[in-house]
Amino acid sequence: MSSLNSALAERLAAEHAGTAAALGEPATSAETRRRALEALLASGLPTSRDENWKYANLRPLEKLRYLPASLAAPASAPVTVAVLPPALPDHARYVFVDGVLAPALSAPLDATAATLALQDGASASPSSASPDERFALLNAAFAVQSFEVRLAASCSAQIELLFVASGDSAQGASYPRLKLEVAPGARLALIERHLSAAETASFVNSTVTVALDAGASLSHYRLQDLSSRSVLFDTLSASLARSAVYRLHAAATGGQSARSTMKVRLAGERAELALGVAALGDRQQVQDIYALVEHAAPNARTEQIFRGIAAARSRVAFNGKIVVAAGAHGTDSRQSLKGLLAGPEAEIDVRPQLEIYTDDVRCSHGATAGKLDEQMLFYLLSRGLSPEVAQRLLKWAFLGDVIARTDLPALRRQIEARLAGQLRDEALRELL
Amino acid sequence: MTMSERQTLLRIEDLHARVEGKQILNGLTLEVAAGEVHALMGPNGSGKSTLAYVLAGRPGYEVTAGRVLFDGRDLLTLAPEERARAGLFLGFQYPVEIPGVNNVYLLKAAVNAARKKCGLPEVDAFEFLAMVREKMKLMRMEDSFLSRGVNEGFSGGEKKRNEILQMLVLEPRLAVLDETDSGLDIDALKVVAAGVNSQRSPERACLLITHYQRLLEYVAPDFVHVLVRGRIARSGDRTLALELERRGYDWVAGEAA
Repeated sequence: MSSLNSALAERLAAEHAGTAAALGEPATSAETRRRALEALLASGLPTSRDENWKYANLRPLEKLRYLPASLAAPASAPVTVAVLPPALPDHARYVFVDGVLAPALSAPLDATAATLALQDGASASPSSASPDERFALLNAAFAVQSFEVRLAASCSAQIELLFVASGDSAQGASYPRLKLEVAPGARLALIERHLSAAETASFVNSTVTVALDAGASLSHYRLQDLSSRSVLFDTLSASLARSAVYRLHAAATGGQSARSTMKVRLAGERAELALGVAALGDRQQVQDIYALVEHAAPNARTEQIFRGIAAARSRVAFNGKIVVAAGAHGTDSRQSLKGLLAGPEAEIDVRPQLEIYTDDVRCSHGATAGKLDEQMLFYLLSRGLSPEVAQRLLKWAFLGDVIARTDLPALRRQIEARLAGQLRDEALRELL
Repeated sequence: MTMSERQTLLRIEDLHARVEGKQILNGLTLEVAAGEVHALMGPNGSGKSTLAYVLAGRPGYEVTAGRVLFDGRDLLTLAPEERARAGLFLGFQYPVEIPGVNNVYLLKAAVNAARKKCGLPEVDAFEFLAMVREKMKLMRMEDSFLSRGVNEGFSGGEKKRNEILQMLVLEPRLAVLDETDSGLDIDALKVVAAGVNSQRSPERACLLITHYQRLLEYVAPDFVHVLVRGRIARSGDRTLALELERRGYDWVAGEAA
């Protein structure tokens, strides 16, 4: 664990004091906020010397402004519906601008199945966090609002959350904070989308906490489309009770530098996790993903798929660790991690890790990093396709394993259009 | 048909080529005219597939001497995709599986690439699909095939039928079919042969590369050539194939030595 350099620690403390003063919130939440800061100052922010952080780009941390952007001067132009992606049919929509709910842009849920709560700041904060969750402490110390979704037993709901970053990092940061609780047998489909209102250089630090009760089901789509100059650190932590099913699909295309930390604990017997991640890097982007899955109970299943493409001078990294605890017999876990190197100066790091502390488990993993298949390429050229189209088609196919798992057609089309856009292919978009 | 009436489509002159430093073609000369079907036979390792890949422009196949004219143009200076758009089609001996690339996408992209070169607009999606379905019927392929990945999980026979379907859709001026008959049962062989025969026309030609005489019972060639150690050892009409079947390749190989 590392400590903060004193200049950054002083600045964090000062900006934190400014935040607390500006918010003027009740003593209990101010106390939670203060404890989070103390824990953060004690543990420090990660550095590239930390084992699980060596592929992340941590350099911006020295220069960022931590004050919430919503407390700074208002953004030059207010966020309008025009910058938002088309609404998905049959989904309630909540839009947050710089981490604060914008009711005028939202289309609330009319069903009473779900309880939605908007809280000032963090409702609770751990006094300490694991080294991988230090950005969650930063979020707890600075978040202006926390959005909580509680779905009652045996109910279902479909919700889309848009987190729009409007501010420049010189003004302040955006701290989306989300908590999901799904009661026994309930089913939630949730889309969590991070985007920018304009080509601003935003700093976004988000936290998502997920609790799935027995037999609950959550389909969670996380799309990261931030502007090309943005910095993102996000922390997700989830816990699954008996027979809960969590489908987590993530697609990261945006940002200058993005790090996503996900920790999923299969705490109950027969819980199931399907984690699919697609990440695209271009220019000098850094996309770094760390996923830790803990099998703590017997007969639970994990299927993890990662497909990453690094073009130009970008770096795309996926570090997928699966820990099977003592007593988690009957565990069935599969990992398929593939990286595609699409530029001479690009970097791909795929790293499967498996720690098993019990017998009687089935764990398989495969990891590859390579270039486009020459035989496939020649086959397409021999049919008259130009090298550019052939390469894009193969890149597209490479991502197919992950994209095919998006079972909402309207969302899938949006993801495909976004990915095709990132691959800069008009021809491909026509084929969709 | 006399030589003066023939309109030469492909002219291979004294072609020498090597692969991974190994000389495979040693002075191959062959002329194919529009409207003709040529069968190229020969023992394993005689250079049949090498010729197919050299014609299609596969990287790693190095031409060390000779030249190839396609429709009067120097074929060897063209990139693989340019050769395809000019009307050359290679039916692969081992069609490549490309999971995630949809069959119909590939067909459409291929047709549009050729049309673009001719200054034509892109195909109408509806008409295109109707045309593809029509040709699929001839190849006895199910509709579900359209949405599957290119050759993904196809049986050997399905892959070969898919090659012929692509040929039917692209309507090349010259089809080079590299052992399209290998590994096919008799029913699949008939379907493939029907596909090839449906393409015969005065404007088009076909170079059938095969190890066995079997396919030639269903697709009657105008000429048969035997390739031995990288050059044509003997040429004749279709009776040559029958004679080969009876006497074996050693007969020609011995003569050529």
